[in-house]
Amino acid sequence: MRKTRIAAVATALTAVIALAGCSGSADEAPTAGAIPTDEPITLTVWSWDGTVEAAVPGFEKKYPNITVDVVNAGSSTDEYTALDNAIQAGSGVPDIAMFEYFVLPFFAIPGKLTDLSVYGADELGKDYVEAAWGEVNIDGAPYALPSDYGPAAMFYNQKVLAEAGVEEPPATWDEFYEAAKKVRALGGDHYITNDSADIFLLLSLIWESGGRPFQVEGTDVKIDFTDEGTARAVEYWQRMLDEDLINTKITGWSDDWNRGLNDGTLATQLIGGWFTSTLPERAPDAAGDFRIAELPQWEEGERSGAENGGSAMAIPADAPNKDAAYAFLEYFTHGEGLQARIDEGAFVPTLSFLEDEAFLASTNEFFGDQAYNEVLASASKNVGTGWQYPPFFSWARSSYEDLSAPLYNSGEGTLAELLETWRERMTEYGNEQGFAVS
Amino acid sequence: MTLQTTSPLRRKRRPTTGLLFLAPFGLLFIFVFIIPILYSAYISLFQNKLIGGQSFVGLDNYVRLFKDPQFYDGAIRVVVFTAIQVPIMLLCAILLALAVDSLRLHGTRFFRIVVFLPYAVPAIVSTLMWGFMLGIRYGLIGNLNDALGTRFDPFAPETTMASIGIMVTWGFTGYNMLIFYAALRAIPRELYEAAAIDGATEMQVVRNIKLPALRGSLTVTVIFSIIGTFQLFNEPNILSSLVSNSGITSYYTPNLYAYTLAFTGSQQGYAAALALVMAAFTIVIAYIVQIRGMKNAFDK
Repeated sequence: MRKTRIAAVATALTAVIALAGCSGSADEAPTAGAIPTDEPITLTVWSWDGTVEAAVPGFEKKYPNITVDVVNAGSSTDEYTALDNAIQAGSGVPDIAMFEYFVLPFFAIPGKLTDLSVYGADELGKDYVEAAWGEVNIDGAPYALPSDYGPAAMFYNQKVLAEAGVEEPPATWDEFYEAAKKVRALGGDHYITNDSADIFLLLSLIWESGGRPFQVEGTDVKIDFTDEGTARAVEYWQRMLDEDLINTKITGWSDDWNRGLNDGTLATQLIGGWFTSTLPERAPDAAGDFRIAELPQWEEGERSGAENGGSAMAIPADAPNKDAAYAFLEYFTHGEGLQARIDEGAFVPTLSFLEDEAFLASTNEFFGDQAYNEVLASASKNVGTGWQYPPFFSWARSSYEDLSAPLYNSGEGTLAELLETWRERMTEYGNEQGFAVS
Repeated sequence: MTLQTTSPLRRKRRPTTGLLFLAPFGLLFIFVFIIPILYSAYISLFQNKLIGGQSFVGLDNYVRLFKDPQFYDGAIRVVVFTAIQVPIMLLCAILLALAVDSLRLHGTRFFRIVVFLPYAVPAIVSTLMWGFMLGIRYGLIGNLNDALGTRFDPFAPETTMASIGIMVTWGFTGYNMLIFYAALRAIPRELYEAAAIDGATEMQVVRNIKLPALRGSLTVTVIFSIIGTFQLFNEPNILSSLVSNSGITSYYTPNLYAYTLAFTGSQQGYAAALALVMAAFTIVIAYIVQIRGMKNAFDK
C-alpha cells in the first residue's frame, strides 16, 4: 500500500497535496467528495463477506484510476485482531474493514474509526431499518454503513413438529414451551432446540422482550440485567433449561449440531436470517422440511423482534485513502453497487431492498418453496430499537462462556445469578480499561 | 580462567575467529530470542487501556498475576497434567524403544515409522481426529456407549484433561521413542558380546546395559516434555469449539489464558507478564531436572 502511495507521489505533483491531505493524520477533517481522478489509487478492503467482490467491477469502471483489492483477512475475531494489530503498528491498515455490529463500539469509542457524518452519511439513515441504523450510530454519529443484516427468526422443521403434534409453528413463547414438551415426548434425543450458553441467543430473547441491559454514552456504560424485559426472557429460558426442554449438550457450528439438524433431533433454531445460506448444506437430508417464521412473541399479537448477527463496513481512522474509501463504501452498501451484491445473495437492511418484489418473491426448494424473504423482511422491520452493546463485548463474550460452564454443565446456579456475576466481571474489566461502568 | 589471563596469545586469537564462527548463530539468537524476551519484559511493565492508551505501571501486572485465581487454576492444571502424562508417555517410549532394539520383532522399520508417524500429524488435525473419535454423540465412544449401555463421556469437565493426555501421548511417544532408540543403537556391540560370554539373560542385559545407557536421553526427553506440556494450547483451544460442556475455559492453561488476555481482552502487558512468569517457572523446573539428571549420571 505504501509503495503505491510513493508511486503516486512520483507521478502527479499537483495531486500530491490532495493525497497527502487525505492520507494524513486522523485529526484532520477530510473533505468529502474530493477524490483525485488522475492518479492511481488502490483501495484495500478487508471483508469476509464474499458478495463485496461483486460490486468491484462496476466501481472500477466508474473510477478508472481506482483499483479495489478485496482481501479476506479472516472472519470475525481473526480480522479484529489483525486490524487492531495493524492500527497499533501504524502500518497495513485497510481502507475499509468489515465489523459485526457488536464490535463497532470497541473500535469507534476509542477513536479507531472515521466518523462518516463528514461525508454526509447522516443523510442515508432514512433509507435503513431503524434498528440497523441505530447500531452503526455511536454517540449520535454514524461510524459504519450496514452491509448485512440478521434479523432473529425461527427456523423450524415442519415435519418433526408435525410428528410431535404441533401443526402450526409456535407464535408465542407459551406455545413454544408447549411445543418443546411435545417434541421432547418424541423420545430419544429429540429437543426443540439446543443452547450451550450461546450469549447471542439469550440476548436476542432479551432484546425481543424489550430488555435493554446495556446503555452506553461515550465511555459511560451502564449494565443492568434486572429490567422487566430482561427478567421476563431470563425467567422463561430458565424454565426451559430446568425442564430439560433444551439440548445443552450440542454446541452451535459443531459436527453434532449439523447431525442434529440433519436427522431432525433438533426441531428448531432461533437464529439470524443469514442462516438460510448455510442450513441447506448442514442438513441436506432435511431438504423440504424446514420453514422460517418470525420469532415467537412474548404477548399474543405483538410485533417485536431482535437482531442476531449481521455486519457493517467502516473506514479505520488511519486508513490511507479515506475519500476514495467512502466513495466505494457508499457504492457497495447503499448506492449503485448494491444490486450486484444482492444478486449474489446479500441481505441488506435498506428499506428499498426489503420492499423489492423480486426479492420478496424469491423461493428456495430447500425451504419448501416458501417465500421466506417476506418473513425475514418483516422480521427486519420489527427489530426493536435502542439496543446497544458495551464497547468491550468481545471480551465480555468469552467471559460469559467461562462463567456459564457450571450452569450448562451441571445445572449449578441460575441464569439470573450467572448474569449478575457476568455484570460484576464486566464492571471490573470495563473500569480497568478506562470506562466508567456501573 | 587463570590460563587465559596468563596467555596473551590465546586471548588475542579467541575474539577474531571464535566470534566469527559464533556470529551466525549469535545474531539469530539475539534477534529471535533475546530481543523478543526483552521486549516482552518491557511491555509487561505497561498497562494498555482501551480508553487512555498505554501507561507505565511498574510491577503491577506481576503483583496482580500472583493474586489471580484464574492464573493459578491454569498453572496447577498443567503441572498436574505434566506430572501424570510425562511419566506415562516416557515409559511407553522406553518400552517401545527396547522392543524395537531387541531385534526380535519382524518389520521393525515399518513399526518404527508407524509409531513415529503421529508426531508428523499437526496438533490441529490430530485434535479434530481424536475429537470425533472420543465424541459421545457419534464417535467411537458414542458407539461403544450405545452397545454397552454406558454413559461414559471423555469430554466431561472431569475427563477432558485425561482425553487431552491421550492425544498428547499419542502424538509424542514416537518422537521420544526415536531419541531412546538412537541412544540404544549407540551402545558398543562389545558390551553385548561380553554379556553373552558371561551368560547374561536378556533381562539382565536390559537392566545392566540398556537402561543405564538411556539415562542421558531420559534427562533430555523429560526436559523437552515438560516444556512441551507447560505450553499446552492447541488441544484445548480447538476442543473448546468442537465439543460443548467440556469444561474448557479461556484460562484453561496458562498459554490459553495469555492468548485470551492479549487478543480478546487487549491486555498485552498483563499477558506478557504471565508469559514471562511461566517461562521462568519452566526454566527453573527444567534446570532442576537437568541438575538431577547430571548428578545421577555422574554418580554411577
